[in-house]
Amino acid sequence: MKRYRAFTAFILIVGALVALGYGLFGPQKATAALLSGLTLASLYFLLGAGLSLIFGLMDVLNFAHGVLFMVGAYVGYTVFGNPRLILNTAPLFLALAVGIIAGSRLAPLIPNRRFIPYLLALAGVGVTLWGIRGFPLRPLVAFEPTTAGGAIPTALAQEPLSRMLLRLGQLALAGLLLGPVAARWGREDRRAAPWRSLALGVGLTLLAVLLLLGRDPLERFLLGLSVDVRFFLALVAGAATGAALGALIETTLIRPFYGRPITQIVLTLGLMFAGAELVKFIWGKEGRPPMAVPSLFAQSCRSPNLLAWLTERCSSIDVLGRAFPTYRLFIIAVGLLILVGVALLLKYSRLGMIVRAGVQDSAMVEALGINVRRVFMAVFALGSALAALGGVVAAPFVGVYPEMGSIFQLQAFIAVVIGGMGSYTGTAVGALVLGLARALGDTLVTTGIALPGMAQALRASPAVARASTVLMMAVVLLVRPAGIFGRKE
Amino acid sequence: MEKTGFPLWLRRHWPGLVILTLMSLFPFLAGLAMGDPAAVPPEIQGVGRVLALAETGRAKFWQGMVIQMFILAVFAMSYDLLLGYTGVISFGHAMFFGTGGYVVGLLVKHAGWSAGAAVGVLLLVALLQSLMVGALSLRVKGVYLAMVTLAFAEFFYILAEATDFRQYTGADDGLHGIYPPPFLSPTDHRTRFYFLALVFFLTMYLAARRLVNSPTGRVMVAIRENEARAAMLGYNTFVYKLVALVAAGVMAALAGALNAFFNLGVTPSVLSVATTIDVLAMTIVGGAGTLTGPVLGAAIVHLLGYWLNRLFGQTWVLLFGVTFILIVVFLPYGIVGTVQARSWRWRAVWRERWRRIKEGRKFPLPS
Amino acid sequence: MAALLEVQDIHTFIGQFHILQGVSLEVPEGSITALLGRNGAGKTTTLKSILGLTPPREGKVIFLGEEIGGRRAYEIAAMGIGYVPEYRAIFTGLTVEENLRIAERRKGDLKRKADFIFTLFPDLKRLYRLPGGQLSGGQQQMLAIARALVPDNRLLLIDEPSEGLAPILIQELMGAIRRLSAEVTVLLVDQNFQMTSRLADRYFMIEDGRTVRSGAMADLLNEPDVIRRYLGAVI
Ligand SMILES: Nc1ncnc2c1ncn2[C@@H]1O[C@H](COP(=O)(O)OP(=O)(O)OP(=O)(O)O)[C@@H](O)[C@H]1O
Ligand SMILES: [Mg+2]
Repeated sequence: MKRYRAFTAFILIVGALVALGYGLFGPQKATAALLSGLTLASLYFLLGAGLSLIFGLMDVLNFAHGVLFMVGAYVGYTVFGNPRLILNTAPLFLALAVGIIAGSRLAPLIPNRRFIPYLLALAGVGVTLWGIRGFPLRPLVAFEPTTAGGAIPTALAQEPLSRMLLRLGQLALAGLLLGPVAARWGREDRRAAPWRSLALGVGLTLLAVLLLLGRDPLERFLLGLSVDVRFFLALVAGAATGAALGALIETTLIRPFYGRPITQIVLTLGLMFAGAELVKFIWGKEGRPPMAVPSLFAQSCRSPNLLAWLTERCSSIDVLGRAFPTYRLFIIAVGLLILVGVALLLKYSRLGMIVRAGVQDSAMVEALGINVRRVFMAVFALGSALAALGGVVAAPFVGVYPEMGSIFQLQAFIAVVIGGMGSYTGTAVGALVLGLARALGDTLVTTGIALPGMAQALRASPAVARASTVLMMAVVLLVRPAGIFGRKE
Repeated sequence: MEKTGFPLWLRRHWPGLVILTLMSLFPFLAGLAMGDPAAVPPEIQGVGRVLALAETGRAKFWQGMVIQMFILAVFAMSYDLLLGYTGVISFGHAMFFGTGGYVVGLLVKHAGWSAGAAVGVLLLVALLQSLMVGALSLRVKGVYLAMVTLAFAEFFYILAEATDFRQYTGADDGLHGIYPPPFLSPTDHRTRFYFLALVFFLTMYLAARRLVNSPTGRVMVAIRENEARAAMLGYNTFVYKLVALVAAGVMAALAGALNAFFNLGVTPSVLSVATTIDVLAMTIVGGAGTLTGPVLGAAIVHLLGYWLNRLFGQTWVLLFGVTFILIVVFLPYGIVGTVQARSWRWRAVWRERWRRIKEGRKFPLPS
Repeated sequence: MAALLEVQDIHTFIGQFHILQGVSLEVPEGSITALLGRNGAGKTTTLKSILGLTPPREGKVIFLGEEIGGRRAYEIAAMGIGYVPEYRAIFTGLTVEENLRIAERRKGDLKRKADFIFTLFPDLKRLYRLPGGQLSGGQQQMLAIARALVPDNRLLLIDEPSEGLAPILIQELMGAIRRLSAEVTVLLVDQNFQMTSRLADRYFMIEDGRTVRSGAMADLLNEPDVIRRYLGAVI
């Protein structure tokens, strides 16, 4: 009954938006606007889905979600266009991780005195700083390969292998110092079996050394790959980074503070701020132009219809006589795919069942003998991966820039407020409504509103359209504070 | 013998009085210690020399630092009315601070109003703004409210940065040339501005103390402790939260206005998340739920920012973010909160010991 | 006979409130033990403390001869304790089947126990595909108990199963609990003294978070004063 009403409301709102579009701009422009709206909706959904799932399950509102979106975009962009940066930095992270894994095994050897963890942490941070001192980050970031498969510039800006290996050692040592602290920090769970962490440690070490020793051939290999493969790698790397960061955030900043919701969200807010600064620190304050698109969307021509596009691979397609970029269709497709995929996961997998149950009552799930914290971590990682994936997908559309995290996060917030926090359907609905409204708003403010009695049409920048969505949120709060599909407390 | 009247008052308030005296003497002490004697003509002697020295060299700079601290302290106290006293987590407090700056800025610079009139209008604007934001965002609770308030703040931030209004707001360059009346100019008469800020700070501190010690304030604390119970006792919790939000909003707006006058301008960054992080940090460092906490926190955070900036240059913002996270993790109750908790524990322990001694352990105590 | 579960003088805090101030009890294997007390005496909190949902700060909880205090709730539950919370906290968004399946600890638990569960609660078979939220109060209670029977539990903690049920349903429920107690030990909390007194062999009485009496149920029935004083109930 209630659901039925929510659906009616949803259909009415979307219908009204579509009708408004057609009434204002006529079919041609309106269709283009609505397609753009779907594109935006798809991105808002990728971001909002994680926010909403995480909130529903563990009552944590992750203000750093936009940062994950942005980091995904940056990592994807870098994997795609500047593997040299990854090949030189990833081993350092891996070395630190190996050190921490080994160090956490040594935790029982450390005498149980209060000040010792602090001392170790301080030493660990010190050694880390020592290990990354003088690392040629700037030139590595600035390095932009010209074209795919083109000549490789000389090994300029890279440090000699010996120096890098020394750094690996230093960071592994830092990890060893930090490991016991980390182990204490995450004392909640029993530790993995020893052979597991041994295997993990050895594997990561091998990976780090291989990446480093093979950095030149690997770079040549990666840049020699086709755009499509590199794009795919970017998607995978972005999502994987998102998942890893999500798991890290959950274990370090969220898990120790269950039962203290204020601390949790204040921490994620801090992370939102520090994360954006970190991105600026690594990649610079300036953004980058949109990433290159896969070959399917790359030929500069306009296909008359979808079928023709699949053979011609044009960058745009004819929609009622107007060109519409085909890559945006890809964004829409990714959004739909994830929407359906996650819905199936929620409906049919055991994890999904636990999540649905946990959204209602996570203590009861735990009382059934299920380690609900592990599920929390999995969902946090999944949500973060979706956000990061959204970032990579967005990179060829909007480029990458340090403000993209907070900008997209704001819209995702508004989408989940409209749809109803904690509801998966609601998030999809909210994203759709907001995407359409945004696209119409953008069209409206850029073509101008001709008010009677005014000489000039009223025009505004897209920033104003972006801000006006907050007003939409205000209206929803007035009418239905829990959102269209929200549960009442 | 019972002390009454003035001696009692003195006994109770002496720490505050000492601090107040120190604060009033600060410009002159700073002038004597750090002023630039070369900048003051030798024929000026005596009291005049002290006054003049205060306007020179590092004395002037450090007065500026303290002025900024007063302003931030008021801002942080206003935030604590929400976070610490009412338990309302708003992530949009920057919007009030920024509004204060922009409203007086627009009125003084573009409408040519006097500073006093502008502040008068600001009071009204801030009242309306906080009423509206409160009426909307207080319809939801907890983390949800944090999100909604953040969205509202972003709304104003985006507008301040939007190129559409560049001729008024200066867009991302900010609005510059917000001058207070010449006799209070922070550049020419820093000491006078210092006392203006001091008086402002004291007034706001007393007002906030009045509020939190009033019956309304006690209901606010009850809401923080358990909103459902407060509602069950018959209090309209929405109204009390709205009162807290309006009081906090107006206080923050006034602080924002003074900030604009002191810096002779505002930039959109006063409306950004960074400002909210600042005020959160100050409140948490000092200790939420106390009034002295945010004041202490404002001083510490401001100094910390200054030192980080001097030591690390550009990177300091990143380091500040990291420091913020560490503070929340390791000092969740802040300095004042932690000290209070410790001293309560110590006092309890000593009271217990004293009781045992007095009673000669007549009753066996549970071990 | 060694007790299956032993609780020794536990103290539990919720926030700053000292809710349990010394609860002790013993549940022998193969029995139904009742935990009695007025509203707010701390019965629910005791059950939650045993399960680790509100971990006790002091005292011992011993299950199967092992001290389990300080372990996480899921570990304790996985040792073989089933919990049927008050207000029949089934998952309303999950179907009856899913409500049962989620309780599986090993693959095939549900298949193995299905017959047992459906002979106890034949209704559930008919409602198998329905969302839990659409079940009636009585059916939800059956489901909550059935859910605790899916894995191989040694002990069931059942909290206020009769609350809000019609008398006829209470009869049915009593029958079910009696029958399942042949398979699994039960610690039962219920305000309905008629019911508990007929089901349980032994009782523990708590008041203001302390155990104040214990003994055989048959003896308690001979002391109407005590019953009136501690439970406000008349028989
Ligand atoms: N979250 C809480 N915060 C504060 N006090 C609580 C909380 N939960 C329970 N209490 C208090 O703990 C005491 C015991 O509660 P408990 O639910 O264990 O009682 P009970 O014996 O199960 O009562 P009932 O028969 O009503 O279910 C009560 O006085 C209750 O007010
Ligand atoms: Mg109870």
